[in-house]
Amino acid sequence: MRSWARLLALDLRRLTRSAGIAAAILLLLVLGIYGAWRAGRNAEAARSSLTAAETAYDDQLDFLLSVYPPTTDAGEVLYYVAFPAPQPPHPVSALARGRAAVETESLRIRLLALEGQLYEHETVNPRLAAAGYLDLAFLLIALLPLFIIAVTYDLISGEREGGTWNLVRLFAPPRRLLAAKLASRAILVGAVAAAVMAAGALLAGVGFDGRAGWMFALVALHTAFWFALCLGVALGHRSSTANAMILAGIWVVLTILAPAALSLANAVLHPVPEALELTVQQRQGYHEAWDLPPSATMESFYRDYPEWSGQDVPEDVFTWGWYYAMNHRGDQTARDASRAYREVLRQRDAWARRWSLFAPPLATQLALDRLAGTDLAAQLDYQEAVRRFHERLKDHFFPHFFATAPIDAVAWDQVPVFEPAAPADSPARAGVPAAFALILGSGLALGVGARRARA
Amino acid sequence: MARTARARWAVTNTTIPPTSGRKRRLMRNSPAGLRNTLLIARQQLGAIRQDGTVVFGLGLVVALGLVAVLGARHHETNEAGQRARYQGIVDQQWVDQPERHPHRVIHYGFLVFRQAAPFEFVDPGVSDYAGTSIFLEGHRQNTANFGEARHSTGMSRFGRLTPASVLALLLPLLVVVAGFAAVSAEREGGTLGVLLTQGATPAQILAGKVLATGAVGALATLPVALAVAVAAGPGLDSAASAMRLGTLAAIYAVYLAGWVLVTVLVSAVRTSSRSALAQLLALWVVICVATPRVAASVAGALHPLPSRAELTAQVEQALNEVGDSHRPDDPFFNALREEYLERYQVGAVEDLPVNWRGVLSRESESLTSRVFEDHRQELVEGHLRQNRVMAWSGFLSPYLAARDLSMGVAGSGPEAMEAFLAQAEAHRYTIIQRLNELHIHEIRNENDRAQRLSREHWGQFPVFGTEPPPLGGALANRPVSLAALGLWIGLPLTGLGLARRRLALVGTDRAS
Repeated sequence: MRSWARLLALDLRRLTRSAGIAAAILLLLVLGIYGAWRAGRNAEAARSSLTAAETAYDDQLDFLLSVYPPTTDAGEVLYYVAFPAPQPPHPVSALARGRAAVETESLRIRLLALEGQLYEHETVNPRLAAAGYLDLAFLLIALLPLFIIAVTYDLISGEREGGTWNLVRLFAPPRRLLAAKLASRAILVGAVAAAVMAAGALLAGVGFDGRAGWMFALVALHTAFWFALCLGVALGHRSSTANAMILAGIWVVLTILAPAALSLANAVLHPVPEALELTVQQRQGYHEAWDLPPSATMESFYRDYPEWSGQDVPEDVFTWGWYYAMNHRGDQTARDASRAYREVLRQRDAWARRWSLFAPPLATQLALDRLAGTDLAAQLDYQEAVRRFHERLKDHFFPHFFATAPIDAVAWDQVPVFEPAAPADSPARAGVPAAFALILGSGLALGVGARRARA
Repeated sequence: MARTARARWAVTNTTIPPTSGRKRRLMRNSPAGLRNTLLIARQQLGAIRQDGTVVFGLGLVVALGLVAVLGARHHETNEAGQRARYQGIVDQQWVDQPERHPHRVIHYGFLVFRQAAPFEFVDPGVSDYAGTSIFLEGHRQNTANFGEARHSTGMSRFGRLTPASVLALLLPLLVVVAGFAAVSAEREGGTLGVLLTQGATPAQILAGKVLATGAVGALATLPVALAVAVAAGPGLDSAASAMRLGTLAAIYAVYLAGWVLVTVLVSAVRTSSRSALAQLLALWVVICVATPRVAASVAGALHPLPSRAELTAQVEQALNEVGDSHRPDDPFFNALREEYLERYQVGAVEDLPVNWRGVLSRESESLTSRVFEDHRQELVEGHLRQNRVMAWSGFLSPYLAARDLSMGVAGSGPEAMEAFLAQAEAHRYTIIQRLNELHIHEIRNENDRAQRLSREHWGQFPVFGTEPPPLGGALANRPVSLAALGLWIGLPLTGLGLARRRLALVGTDRAS
């Protein structure tokens, strides 16, 4: 036992003395702390974006109520009011940014047709987005494996090529030596990963809960997966350079090629023409209504809201009830295209999730985004929540419009408040498939490696 | 084992004419020197041909390059077709409008779609992250929506598989694998000394290795370049497109040549092939994987942008200050009324010879447009500041520099997206103010809202079209990236010049 510990300590010292490995450790730690600090900043930016939406609503309302006389039609003032729909991000979302960089989850919604208001971008600079972003998930899923490769590719071949393999075999059984070498590397990689995750949790203000727990578990499993893969390759009787090329090749396939190929296949299998279709249709549906008699618009409005049918809407004068019903007609016209659009995106999401299981690192990344609530499904869920909010606002205000109520009659403290979307999956459901893929992948790699070693 | 295989690369059956030390200086550029260089290159290529890994890698990269060309071309044709189709529908809908009041048409608005850049399929640049359509209407400036990134699952963090990503991201790996042992294997096999004593100068050896490694890179690039040229076929009729394609080829040639030089340099100065490979792979990770993201992240941290919600709030605040013609008792519009009543010597706006509501709408559009433009410009300047950080990062990552130049030449860089937004805004303003002029002069004051303009007016509006930024500007605006790419060639060349002197010495002083 003591000799084993000595072997381990000796190997650890030898590893950290290598300039290249020391530089890699330093780089990972610096990037990790920087990434954690950035995650904290991002979380802060997301919070201030939510506050901005709410403050802007208050300011706007104050301003409108100060310039419009209290007798103004409620419909006229409400034309301008944009109600905030802020989705508070989960604290862990700072760790895996997913699509959070391009999406906004603090929309403000007017009572007008909804379809034109749902798809605003965040103020992202496309040049930065195209370069890719650095979050802790990227660091741990894409860069850490390269470090694992760097410390394990010559696990056995290095000793053999250095001429030390036969020498050390005299003093310790190869299995024990291998275990010591593996353990020292696991300690090193584990320490780096733990430091990065701890920094992330501290600087981004992540409390420990089920989601954070699953994220950490997945990262740990993912790290073990790469260890297994590297060991599987290192056990074969190849040279160090061959091992390095094979492992680098595997990394390129799993990290760059598999995602690109799956994305390409996904895009070809599930094309999205509806994005443009629904914009065109909503605009046409709303504006056509101006050239139709109000009764025609009201007719289609009552189809969706039978509870309000039979309102007294005059044919020859402008009324706000009619105006907002025309807006509803825009959404009605675009409804099929919008539904088809969302359906395609859901299909893309499900398809990506299913096929990513064949590339465990990819499955891990998608699972992390899912746990963080920054994936495509989370964005679609947010849009659903905004749709429900818009409906509740309409339910609340249409009676005012039909009664030609003045703005004075609106009870502002009773106006519906946005109810954020609940996470679609429980943490376990989001994490389990990826965990399975990782465990299965690890077993496979080790099995193949062991067979090669014996052969 | 591969070590012994690499040792086989050593010169065995090539004979190099012996030269005396005195003559060696003279013949550096002589035909015999060139012959030596070519002999070494040929011998190295022969060794590479026997290396299964390189041959496999070459096949894989070429296959990926062809798939990328086909896939990207398919994607682009599909996108372009869709946008053209919807632009056609929207144009037709505009002309087909019934008799309408001009202010109605201001709200009806117009949809414009960004046309794909000439070589977006080679390098999509930033286009996936920029919106493809904008709804242009009165009183508002909308954002461009529905970028490709919105429809992606977030799966592919290295972007789509495109010719640019194959050339800039994957091909360097092939060059590394083909060349990392070029010199070090000769050293390990003990044949480096043989070569030197047989009369080959260090410069000839290094040049030969560079040639051979470069040939592998070229062999992988040519089919991809050919496929690009064929796919671009229909667009190639104009000299401008041919120039763009040629410039793209030059950019990637220089970028890959840099990788060839760096690979041979590292191989020449490392004692073992293993450490040369490790160092080159680490270099690839730093240049192609880590630095682009770190640079983007740092750029964002140095020059933060307001979020969409914050920007909207700022715009609203500014709009409240300039006033709104829809609101009664607005100070600015009250002053305007006094001015018009004075000018036309009438007592009430109803008696003006021009349409007062139209005047209000026109003036208010000019005010609000300025507010929108000011805020958009602020955002654009924020982007420019961030982009400058990215450009300077090109010195750390030639990958960034090459991609920056490549997207500029392909017409898919940030300036092209910016040009689209600016042209769309200009178009919006022109159309809205023309409608306001129609309102002012063609609609009478009394019973304003009930009047309609006849349909022939709608056919007389300008059609929207974008012009990609010219090629010259794309390069002239990127001096930093050009310099960075130049350095990417210059530095390893200098390094090879220095390594030449120490070629025989590397590794000899290791034991001390």
